[in-house]
Amino acid sequence: MSLHYGDPQIALGVVFAVLVLLLATAFVVIAVQAGSEVGVERVHDVGYWLRKRWLVLLIVVGVLVVGISLFDLPYASGGAAGRTVVKVTGGQFFWSLQPGSVPAGTRVRFDVTAVDVNHGFGLYDPHGHLIGSVQAMPGYHNKLDLTLSEAGVYRIRCFEYCGLNHSTMQSSFRVTPR
Amino acid sequence: MASVTAPVPSALHPRAAGFTKPARPIERRLGLLFATTGVALILLMGVLGLIMRLTQATVVDLSPAWFYRLVTLHGMGMITGALIAAMGALWYVLHESVPLRAGHMLASYALTVAGAAGVLVATLIGGFGAAWTFLPPLAFFPAGQWPVWSESVFFVGMMLVGSGFFVYCIDVLRQTTSTYGGLTGALGWRFLRGREPDAPPASVIAATVVAFDGLLAMSVGMTIGLGLLGRTYDTGVGFDLLVSKNLVYFFGHTIANLLIYLAAGAVYVLLPRYAGRPYEVTKVFVAGWGVALVLIVTVYSHHLYMDFVQPQWAQVVSEISSYASALPVAVITIYSLTMLVWGSRYRWTLASSLLYVGLAGWAIGGTGAVIDSIIPFNFRLHNTVWVVAHFHTYLMLTVVVWLLAFIAHLLERDAGVTSSRGARTWTIALLLIGGFGLTGTWFVEGILGIPRRYAIQPPGTAGYSLAGSIFGLMFALGVLVCVAQLASLARTAWGRRHYAFVDHMDSWTGSHYEARVSRAGGKGPAVEAAAPWAPADVPLAGRVQLCFAAAVCVVALASFFPQIVTASEASVRYHHLDHAGHFFLGLMVGLLIGSLPAVSRRLGDRSSLGLATVIAAPAAMMLVMVPRFYEPLERHPFEHALYHLAMAAFGLATGLGASRLGRVGGRLASFLSIGMVLLFAAAMKGG
Repeated sequence: MSLHYGDPQIALGVVFAVLVLLLATAFVVIAVQAGSEVGVERVHDVGYWLRKRWLVLLIVVGVLVVGISLFDLPYASGGAAGRTVVKVTGGQFFWSLQPGSVPAGTRVRFDVTAVDVNHGFGLYDPHGHLIGSVQAMPGYHNKLDLTLSEAGVYRIRCFEYCGLNHSTMQSSFRVTPR
Repeated sequence: MASVTAPVPSALHPRAAGFTKPARPIERRLGLLFATTGVALILLMGVLGLIMRLTQATVVDLSPAWFYRLVTLHGMGMITGALIAAMGALWYVLHESVPLRAGHMLASYALTVAGAAGVLVATLIGGFGAAWTFLPPLAFFPAGQWPVWSESVFFVGMMLVGSGFFVYCIDVLRQTTSTYGGLTGALGWRFLRGREPDAPPASVIAATVVAFDGLLAMSVGMTIGLGLLGRTYDTGVGFDLLVSKNLVYFFGHTIANLLIYLAAGAVYVLLPRYAGRPYEVTKVFVAGWGVALVLIVTVYSHHLYMDFVQPQWAQVVSEISSYASALPVAVITIYSLTMLVWGSRYRWTLASSLLYVGLAGWAIGGTGAVIDSIIPFNFRLHNTVWVVAHFHTYLMLTVVVWLLAFIAHLLERDAGVTSSRGARTWTIALLLIGGFGLTGTWFVEGILGIPRRYAIQPPGTAGYSLAGSIFGLMFALGVLVCVAQLASLARTAWGRRHYAFVDHMDSWTGSHYEARVSRAGGKGPAVEAAAPWAPADVPLAGRVQLCFAAAVCVVALASFFPQIVTASEASVRYHHLDHAGHFFLGLMVGLLIGSLPAVSRRLGDRSSLGLATVIAAPAAMMLVMVPRFYEPLERHPFEHALYHLAMAAFGLATGLGASRLGRVGGRLASFLSIGMVLLFAAAMKGG
């Protein structure tokens, strides 16, 4: 399997890189300015004026990002009607998927659990992009709804440390052409 | 021949003399003891980290069994090392404002170091490798890799570390609250509401928040640790895995998070000494730390975002908390400290440069953390190495860097000088390039979707690990260059402490030269004694509170009613709840008796014994709640009755112990002990 960058992750990486660049610039500017002498009153006047706006900006960004994120939660809701339920069971150190394949375009509900310790069900699309992950925990069933529209082999890797062979605990799920 | 003692040079900002007290020997010695022990442990764990990264790069051939031993040791060792050093740093600055007890500090040190030794034995000799987060029930599914004894030793070690921090937090909280008029006074809330003209120093507010939240985290950690320890000698003990996971992350996330807040408490005092401006405590600062007090303990559940069975409201609360927790950091701590630096003629020394770098590390690592804390983003980043990237950014480039800065500050103050500009530049350059380079490779791998804690990396990704290893080596080199400067400063400081430098003028030639003469054995500034013990400083003060406690005792007697005991047999949880009721009854009776003025006077100031009791008694109570211990007793009614009475007796001992810890410390210890037994009932299914 080859791994490639997934689109949402690239967007996150770019946003992060831009923010890091801005922060690094700010710290360099402040470090350079640290050598000069500015009166405390002046620093307070300007600093506190700017701080209010900084706080407002962070609150606005937070409300927007958190607010929008609530419309894209990965948690399954409602019954499984109209969905093909794929029972996923993790164990040291295997994955069991029933059924092991579905036709492309199927609305799937992954019903994920484990038999011994905590595991993580990480699903990669046929191009190696990480779609996402969900925990597999004994005694509990986590339900993940996805529509797998592209045919091919979807790779599964363990996403929660589970012991000696954690890094080789893999499996696959086949999506067949319609 | 004339001679004049040369003025002692200072590495601090000239204006700092106006607001900096001279360091007392006890502060310097304990500060150095804690910081050097902690940093030594960190360096050792850093070597292990490098070995693991080289293993992922396929340069080193380490078996997965050893890789996971090292993962476990590296995590727990780093947390412990940083904790010890940060406790010392905060104690050093706090002791200026609050008279703390050196004895309790040394007890805390002994417990923490003993715990670290236990973890070393469990992992390196026993082979324990369930990671420092030990998500139940992984410790008991070793896949043939570790024996049962190593599980016990690991959990005992972990709880000893926890006990050490518990002792520290109780002492800090007791002293800050008694010095500044109770919990609301020490948190600055009386100042916020206009009832006090002045706020407590920033370090006092930070220390009070850290101690309060630290006690919560440690109590939860001890609860799950005791359950796991019980499971090592009785396989009949079972866990509700969702509740257990909540407890593990409440403990683990909070303690890791508190490391940075502990260190930040010290930075509020240290950084102004190089900027020449005292840190100003404003109402915004107090409010920000008030918000942090709550958010530090509510954000942990973002670790359970991908546990879809966790109630959705909890997930949303956690997302909001996680974002909101960044606001006080970004708007108050980092922002106000950079304001302090701005235009200050900042004195760039080894310590002050490291302090400044730490601010940048926190800002950048925190940004990575905030991105990961948004649920849809976390769906794609959860348990990828992005997580490793962001917490290493602020652990390596903030916590470790600040701890090195703390040692440098101690030595610079004594030596009166700093290291050469060239050495400082090399240190900072290596730390920045190596540190951000290493975490940068993890950020990129996180985007790529590579899971964390992989002994064998996915094919085609070894190059990232190799690049990371090279950057890691650069960071290690930066630390070594820094340590070399610290050693040189220590030599100078030692010389200055033992010798005076005297300016001599030769009366024949008129030339000047500096000569070294032995310094007279001065003792330095006197050490203030800890606040005197007051018999009235008890958890229940006054008749109303005592009467209320007596009424509560009467109600708690219901836990012994035969109908309730019989009904509690319906399930293990209900039965454990009934045990909690017995414990609660004993606790309230103990608090009541210990708070009676006549009894309090007779018991005297036995805070050390009180501390030991509030840790040991609830622990013993929970350990005897395993089936192997009590099932044989159930067959004998008398012994069974004695067993239930013992639950109340453990509570009684806890209450009496708590009554020796002052009003705030005693109440909080009581609250936490009953919380622990309730959580134990919720998390355990067997037993």
